[in-house]
Order: sequence, then C-alpha cells, then structure tokens
Amino acid sequence: MPWRRREAAVAGVYQTPQGDLSDRTQPEVWFECAKGACTDAGLTLADVEGIIGDGPQGAGIRSRLPGAALGHDLLGKPLRYQASSSVGAAASASGLNLAVHAVETGLADAVLVVNAVAGRPEGSTSADRDQAVAAMAKLSGPYEYVYGTTRVSDYATLAMRHMHEFGTTSEQLAEVAVAQRHGATLHPLSFHGHRGEITVDDVVKSRMVADPLHLLDCCAINQGGGAVLVTTADTVRAQGRHAPVGLLGYGEGHSHIDPSSAPSLASFDAPAMAADRAFELAGVSRDDIDVAGIGDHFTINVLFGLEAAGFCKTGESGQFVTGGALAIGGRLPTNTAGGFLSFSHAGACGIFTMIELIEQLRGTAGARQVSGARHGYLNGVGGAMQNSFSAILGQV
Amino acid sequence: MAAYDKFLPEGLPAWQRPFWDSLREHDVRVQKCSGCGAFRHVPKELCNRCHSSEATWSPISGTGRVYTYTVVRRAPTPAYQAEAPYVLVHVEMAEGFRMIGSLTVDDPRTVRIGQDVRITYEDVDADWSILRFEPA
Ligand SMILES: [Zn+2]
Repeated sequence: MPWRRREAAVAGVYQTPQGDLSDRTQPEVWFECAKGACTDAGLTLADVEGIIGDGPQGAGIRSRLPGAALGHDLLGKPLRYQASSSVGAAASASGLNLAVHAVETGLADAVLVVNAVAGRPEGSTSADRDQAVAAMAKLSGPYEYVYGTTRVSDYATLAMRHMHEFGTTSEQLAEVAVAQRHGATLHPLSFHGHRGEITVDDVVKSRMVADPLHLLDCCAINQGGGAVLVTTADTVRAQGRHAPVGLLGYGEGHSHIDPSSAPSLASFDAPAMAADRAFELAGVSRDDIDVAGIGDHFTINVLFGLEAAGFCKTGESGQFVTGGALAIGGRLPTNTAGGFLSFSHAGACGIFTMIELIEQLRGTAGARQVSGARHGYLNGVGGAMQNSFSAILGQV
Repeated sequence: MAAYDKFLPEGLPAWQRPFWDSLREHDVRVQKCSGCGAFRHVPKELCNRCHSSEATWSPISGTGRVYTYTVVRRAPTPAYQAEAPYVLVHVEMAEGFRMIGSLTVDDPRTVRIGQDVRITYEDVDADWSILRFEPA
C-alpha cells in the first residue's frame, strides 16, 4: 500500500481555566482536555488513533515504552501512533509537527496532543511556588546549580549580555509584558488577566528577581491544561465547524546543553536556523505574518525570538517592541492571549501559545482578534535558548 | 562549621572527579583535549572540535573576564536566600573557554561585563570545595 499523501489540519482545541488545579487530579484534567478537543472537532475520544507525548498519569501506565502504555492500558484498544518531541516546554507545540506528519502520511487519522498539570505533584509542576522554584533550579547540571542558579538567573545572564552588546533597556523588555497582559485581560481563561492592565513603569518598578529581570518580566507559575486534535483537512472541512488551520512550514534548531558551549549568549544561530527553514518550506515572507506566538518564559525570550525569526535585525528587537508593536493592533501582535507571562506557564505550555494562534487563524479570538489574520508564526524554546522550533500556521 | 545545606553535586560520574578534586586541592585543572589541544569545561567525554575522547586534566591561569552576570535576589532555596543578593558570572577564561561561578564582591552594583576576575576556592565541607571568582 502506498503512503497516503494528504493534507492535515487542526480539527479541535480545548483549554481549561489556568491557575491552581491542585484540587483536581491530573488524569481528570487530561481527559477533560482530550475529550474537549475531540468535542470541538465534532469527534469523540474513540476516534483518536495517535497521541503525541504522554498520556495521563496513573496506575499501570508508567513505562519505558511510552506508546505501549497508551494502548489497551489507557484507551482499551491498540493505538496506531505515538511520538514525542524534545523541545522542552514547547514539546507539545512542536508535537504538532509529529501529529501532522502522522496524519499526512496515513499513519493515523486523528492524533491528539495533550498537556495537563494538576493535583499536588512534587517538584517543578507543583502549585507551591517555593517548591517549583527549587525543583526547577536543579534541572541544570551540578556545574551550574551548586552556585545557586535558577531558571530566572539562566535567562537573566542572557538578558544582561544582550543589554551589554546592543543597549537593550529594561523599559524595552517591559513592553513585552505590558502588551501580553493586555491580551490576557481579554481572555477569560488566563491566569493573570484578572489582575488587570500593567504599565512599563509597573514592570520596571516590580521587585528585581535576578538582574535585569523584574518579577513582571517572569512567567507565571500555575497549573492548567490544553489539547489539540489533528485530523485530515478534509475531515475538518466535512465537519464544517472550523476553518482548517494547518502547518505551512516547520523547522527545528538544537543548540547546546552547556551554556558555555554556545558561541554567544546574546544572539543564537540555532533558532534562526529553525525559523529560516520554516519560512522557506511555507513559502511565505516575514512581511506575510499577521500574528505571532513566541516562547516567553521571560520577556527577553521574546526579543531573542523576534531576532531569530528575522522580524528585525540582531540587536534591534528592543527598538522593534517599543511603542506597543506586540499589542493587538500593533505591528506584530504577539502572544495575544498573554503568553507564559500572563496566560499560563503550566507544563508543556507552548500548547497554549499554539492554541491562541489557531484561534486567531480561525478568526474566533473574540476581543483579541487580529483583523484579517492569515499567517501565524509560532516559536517555542526548550531551556534557556538551548533548543527551539519555528512553525508557520495558516488556513489550508 | 555548620552543616552545609546548599546544593552539592549529585550523581557525578567518576571520570569527572578530577575537576572536583582539583578544587579541593585549590589547584584547578580543566580538561584539555589530547587531539587538538582545546580546553573545555564543563567536562565532556568527547571533544566537539576533533571528536577525540582523550583528554588530560591540565592547569590553567585561573584568570579571565566577566562575559555576563546576574545578581540573584530570589534564590532557589532558603540556604541560598540567606546569602542573597549574590552574583553569578560567566567568565571568559584566558585560555578561551567559559566557566560559570559565583563572584565574591562587597557590592553587586560594582560588577561590570569585561572586568578582570580570578578563581578562588570555597571549602564548604570535608569533601567538597566550590569554585568561586573574585575581582582581579
Ligand atoms: Zn579536540
């Protein structure tokens, strides 16, 4: 039988409210998201033939064979396809590429990507901020953590170098947080939206966490869930529920695990490589992009992402973002639901950034809608600029 | 000395011990590739230039310049928080590789990218010494 060559598209998406889900179990939230994405697609969990990443936590499914654990143990039937991406907190979003590949080649007809963080886990996904911070610090190796490094300090050292080389300012970083908080106030499921708008002044006067990053330069620490279901574009069209949004181009860039191996900590070649390939495969230019979703563990992340993607020259992202360029209605609306800073930083949180882009390209983003959004640029980063992916999304 | 309650290396493979032993001896030694002569840190089993797996633990000058830094105000645990604010530095060593460490300074506001620093040692308990830097 020949490989099938057919077009895939996002059929369904779902998100829970983002915040403290410690009173719910992780499997409960996982299934809510999985079923929610299927329902949004006009399908059911019984239609799912593939899963990207992990299934829910629970008895009997912890395994060195992650795909095997998702068949009869989880779904009560064999599963046609399982794969995992390795792009850190972006693994669920970069998993879109694997889901699309599986559908386009005929490995599976409906593939699910789920990210769910809930309950009272120990460690980096804990709802307890102190515990989460301590656990995340030790994600780096002993050649870093013995000195008291944190996830914030990892990015702070990059931000400091960017400021040194290019004259980037705290006020410019703050522009990212301000634009994204505005978007979050317009999204009822966001974690920080209820706190209201913030100003550049609020950001630069917030408590310093690790120079030059202030508290409001840093992502949220929260729980939550989300899911995306990918099917053939024909299925999406036949259901007639949503415009079929698909992957127009994709690329990855794997850089370094040891920060001292990176040639520069102020500009990065691997994410630029990822973006160049994604644009090349999509056959669209930077000017064609109407809306963006860029990994934003910290405000500086977005500046690196803009430069790597080629929306501005290396070192010029500070000027680029000044004056509300990233806000809805700005030059390049970015992370319009609030991003990790203000929407959600739960688990493989890149999925939330991706879902917002899908909503924008479906034209269903409500008060956050970027008018006439046709092409979306999606980026996600693992670690502190250690690996990344880029994708171009649009209707197919 | 009160029990040291910050993080110490866990799960270090035996082949990386010479680096930590050299800190305890206050005579830092870093891997030098036997294939191409490049220094490298953190320890790795292969050279990324020539792919040789042969290396020696070689003395270095111990001097360098601050490549970038941060001042940590929100520390990972209470033991680190007790010392905050503290300075973390990435140092471009004279031999051409970078090392991460903490910088001992009275006033974190005086730290500058490009400033000269040198290695010192902090003996934290009977078994472990930690690399630090101080202004040169
Ligand atoms: Zn070599």
